[in-house]
Amino acid sequence: MLSALILVPLLGAALMGFLPQKEPKTIARSVALAMAVSVLVVNIVLGFQFDPTVVGFQFAENIPWIEWIGLNYHLGIDGLSLPLIFLNSLLTVIAIFSSSKSIERPRLYYSMLLLLSAGAAGAFLAQDLLLFFLFYELEIIPLYILIAIWGGKRRGYAAMKFLLYTAFSGILVLASFLGLVWLTGASSFDYEFLRTQTLALDSQLLLLAPLLVGIFIKIPIFPFHTWLPDAHVEASTPISVLLAGVLLKLGTYALLRFAVGLFLEGWVVLAPWMAILAGISALYGASCAIAQKDMKKVVAYSSIAHMAYILLAASATTRLSITAAVFQMVSHGLISALLFLLVGVVYAKTGTRDVDSLRGLLNPEKGLPVTGGLMILGVMASSGLPGMVGFISEFLVFRGSFPIFPIPTLLCLVGTGLTAVYFLLVINKVFFGRLTESLSQLPRVRWIEHVPAFALMTLIITFGIQPSWVVHWSEVQAVALLTGG
Amino acid sequence: MTDYLLQTTWIIPFYGLLGAILTLPWSLGIIRKTGPKPAAYLNILLTAIAFIHGSLIFNLIWTKPTQQLVFPWLTVADLNLTLAIELSPVSVGALELVTGISLLVQIYALGYMEKDWSLARFFGLMGFFEAALGGIALSDSLLLTYGLLELLTLSTYLLVGFWYAQPLVVTAARDAFLTKRVGDIILLMGLVALSAYGAGLNFSQLERWANTSPVEPLTAALIGLSLIAGPTGKCAQFPFNLWLDEAMEGPNPAGIMRNSIVVSAGAYVLVKLQPIFTLSPVSSDTLIVLGIVTAIGTSLMAIAQIDIKRALSHSTSAYLGLVFIAVGLGQVDIAFLLLFVHGIAKALLFMSAGSVILTTSNQNVTEMGGLWSRMPATTTAFVVGGAGLFAFMPMGVFWTFQRWFNGSWDVDWWLLAVVLFVNTLSALNITRLFRLVFLGEPQMKTRRAPEVAWPMAFPMVALTIVALIAPTAPIQWPFWLSPTTPLNLGEESIIQLATPLIALSGFVGIVIGATIKLDKAWARPTQMIWRFFQDLFAYDFYIERLYELTVVAGVAFLAKLTSWFDRYVVDGVVNLVSLATIFSGNALKYNVSGQSQFYILTILLGVSLLLWSVLNGQWSIVTNYWSSLLN
Repeated sequence: MLSALILVPLLGAALMGFLPQKEPKTIARSVALAMAVSVLVVNIVLGFQFDPTVVGFQFAENIPWIEWIGLNYHLGIDGLSLPLIFLNSLLTVIAIFSSSKSIERPRLYYSMLLLLSAGAAGAFLAQDLLLFFLFYELEIIPLYILIAIWGGKRRGYAAMKFLLYTAFSGILVLASFLGLVWLTGASSFDYEFLRTQTLALDSQLLLLAPLLVGIFIKIPIFPFHTWLPDAHVEASTPISVLLAGVLLKLGTYALLRFAVGLFLEGWVVLAPWMAILAGISALYGASCAIAQKDMKKVVAYSSIAHMAYILLAASATTRLSITAAVFQMVSHGLISALLFLLVGVVYAKTGTRDVDSLRGLLNPEKGLPVTGGLMILGVMASSGLPGMVGFISEFLVFRGSFPIFPIPTLLCLVGTGLTAVYFLLVINKVFFGRLTESLSQLPRVRWIEHVPAFALMTLIITFGIQPSWVVHWSEVQAVALLTGG
Repeated sequence: MTDYLLQTTWIIPFYGLLGAILTLPWSLGIIRKTGPKPAAYLNILLTAIAFIHGSLIFNLIWTKPTQQLVFPWLTVADLNLTLAIELSPVSVGALELVTGISLLVQIYALGYMEKDWSLARFFGLMGFFEAALGGIALSDSLLLTYGLLELLTLSTYLLVGFWYAQPLVVTAARDAFLTKRVGDIILLMGLVALSAYGAGLNFSQLERWANTSPVEPLTAALIGLSLIAGPTGKCAQFPFNLWLDEAMEGPNPAGIMRNSIVVSAGAYVLVKLQPIFTLSPVSSDTLIVLGIVTAIGTSLMAIAQIDIKRALSHSTSAYLGLVFIAVGLGQVDIAFLLLFVHGIAKALLFMSAGSVILTTSNQNVTEMGGLWSRMPATTTAFVVGGAGLFAFMPMGVFWTFQRWFNGSWDVDWWLLAVVLFVNTLSALNITRLFRLVFLGEPQMKTRRAPEVAWPMAFPMVALTIVALIAPTAPIQWPFWLSPTTPLNLGEESIIQLATPLIALSGFVGIVIGATIKLDKAWARPTQMIWRFFQDLFAYDFYIERLYELTVVAGVAFLAKLTSWFDRYVVDGVVNLVSLATIFSGNALKYNVSGQSQFYILTILLGVSLLLWSVLNGQWSIVTNYWSSLLN
């Protein structure tokens, strides 16, 4: 069952190559969409069968692969990965749906998109360290190609920067994994087995250091973040949605799964510093966002700020904060995906994302009123307005972290306050005011184009009012992560 | 049956929300045929239902003790979040006030906003607004209240920004949101801290928690201060007072709600939090100081304004300052009474001002005059509202002040001085406005000024009647508003002359207001000193300028600095490193075009290097080195 989550998109990606070239461009899109939707359906079925009260992995699949290295094809799903898998399949559908119908080289494009989705799903499912690493690396290649071919003007630079950063991140993660196996003398890379092994504190710290740098690049945390704004600005809208919504989560997922899960003692030693780093990163991202002129960069820096809350929650290592960290991942995934989608609509209709040249887009006759209305709700969700998912997830993060690290928590709270500042500046400049002459002939947005945004908005509000629907999936496993169960 | 009906109380705020949702087809342009009016009628209908439903509950609850309805919301790990609402005469009474004024305001808006093409959006926002306010009135949980305060901030932003195409509106909406948001975030900090220190977040739990004196004095002081920040923003108190004045750029019906109900909602929360303030003298002292500064400062600002709405909105801040003082002194009863009488009087004044503005298309009082004979209902409303606002005639505020100083409460001479000051200036301000707008010779813009049509006149007259009979309510049922009983009941009056003095101060204010020279073209005083004071008050003590130079400039500078640092230092290092790589490994230069071979090569090189070191036993050299460093 779990393999389907990886194999179906892989199959789709392979199938693209066999589609006849002469056919209309939309056939690739339909096939990709069909594949993505079927993965989503499998996911929903899994969600119903999943038992959130059980500790440990469910639906496990274990096939020996390369035994002399100790690599097994071992998949499993638990409370930590289930919400993220779900996010991945949902956002893949949305990314494909919101891709332009007249895209260049559609077969390659959609096959890369599906490959990306398969890579991310594999990484979330892998219960073998080396297998995780393989998927972690696998997902880089399609993303690199997606940015380098369908990107903006400086796509070459951005794609290469992304590639170098994340490849470096991969090497560090691999080094740490290899070191762990070597130091414990284990014969395999199996996650659950390695969790039972104990290491001296200094070796833990030694292995944790490269792992953390690798993870911080991926999340990204200041000062390893500069690849992200460039990548976002150059990537097309659907790719930004996936990058912000899913791929950054690989970093925070690895943080919880491996840094906290495997090196708990070492992590607790480093945690006070990590909490301060989270505070700095949150403020730094927010502060940079205020000065940006490109709407997409504002959202990108806001991502950096919001991802830092997860580091804060992970540092606090309370039962509440770890659960909140998972929740915050889901919440950030939904909200940032929504914001990138809406910025994408503005860009598609006006041809610019520059806040200084846009004005008055709320105009009900000639502007983009519905996009504007959704954007206002989206930024409110991002700045933690109650009733939407951003509030409760951040509240739980802060409430969980405050008893352990009060000062960094307060710093992050200030960051939340600044979120309203930078987003409101954007809203005021872009959507308020009088519509300028040059913008008065905008193409209309059809309702179907807003379907993904409305779907995300519905989820954001639903989970904001009923947070327990998300939280109860991961609560048990979050506790188990800390107690070694 | 009774119990069942009481159980349905929580539905009342949802009528407003339902109304807001029902307007969507019109505001999104899905239904165009009918025009936006049906959306407005729907909202008015739902508000009326909410009012009637509330009245039924109010009758039932009248003689009953306070009850709570608790809804479990979220349980995670050791945290248990519940949302609770309170059923008591006070909370349901407050709810009735909200829905009642909202009903009148919406009917009024039907006339005021008649020609606006986004009428449906306006009514949707008003419904949302009413829902949040009604929720705050009922809420018995700090978490729920916080959430609703934030929704209130959002709806204020959207209502102030309703005419988003005007430049002044854009900044006003932004400032309103950000000012309140600063207060809200600090309140959230307090909320998180309270919850972390083991206090339950329902007000009754908080009170019990506060009674056990659970935290250090410093922590208690900090928590107290953070909890004050939220209401300070909502009630437009110094240093967060300027948004209310700017928000007058928004549509007037929303302005009526803002100046009467919304500011009261902030103070209502403050009253609910009062037990926490007893933990630390710092928080109650801060409340008193903030209240005094705001009451005196904004009273002075009000008398120098020439915009009719701004003159009235500064006076709102002043009266809320008195409420802050009352809460700081622990005199919750007085705080409630003040909110009640001020809310009604201010709503009436704003309705009257709105009628004047709509008829004359003008907000500048120096360009008006002689309206009394042309607009009798509007004039009556202004007189009744004004008389209820300051203590001279035995109406509204007079009875509250009289209660405050009749010996039941422990009051000091300084408090009497502040009240006298505010009362005098308030009387002066209202008299001045009345003379400028309604008396004197008609000017260009007030010459052809018919009375407003019935949708505006009806609510205005209705509220006039309410304002006339309202002051009898607290006298007739002296304790229905008081959750705490006065401190030294039955003792001799501490300040014997207080009541006559207050009435006298009102009279003095009227006399000054009636005799000062009011040049129609608002001639500037010739003496330097008067000119200085006029500017100082008219420009709000230059507080806005001060903020621009400090907070705003500071944040902007910091943002520029970090952005520069990010671009040239952090990214600069990265680019330098990659440049070095390009020169050392020539391969990169030719692989920028999107080939993946290079990438695979990098990985392979890295992996083989690591594998080589592992297999050769070189790894131990590395680990030993690092281990030795760590030890």
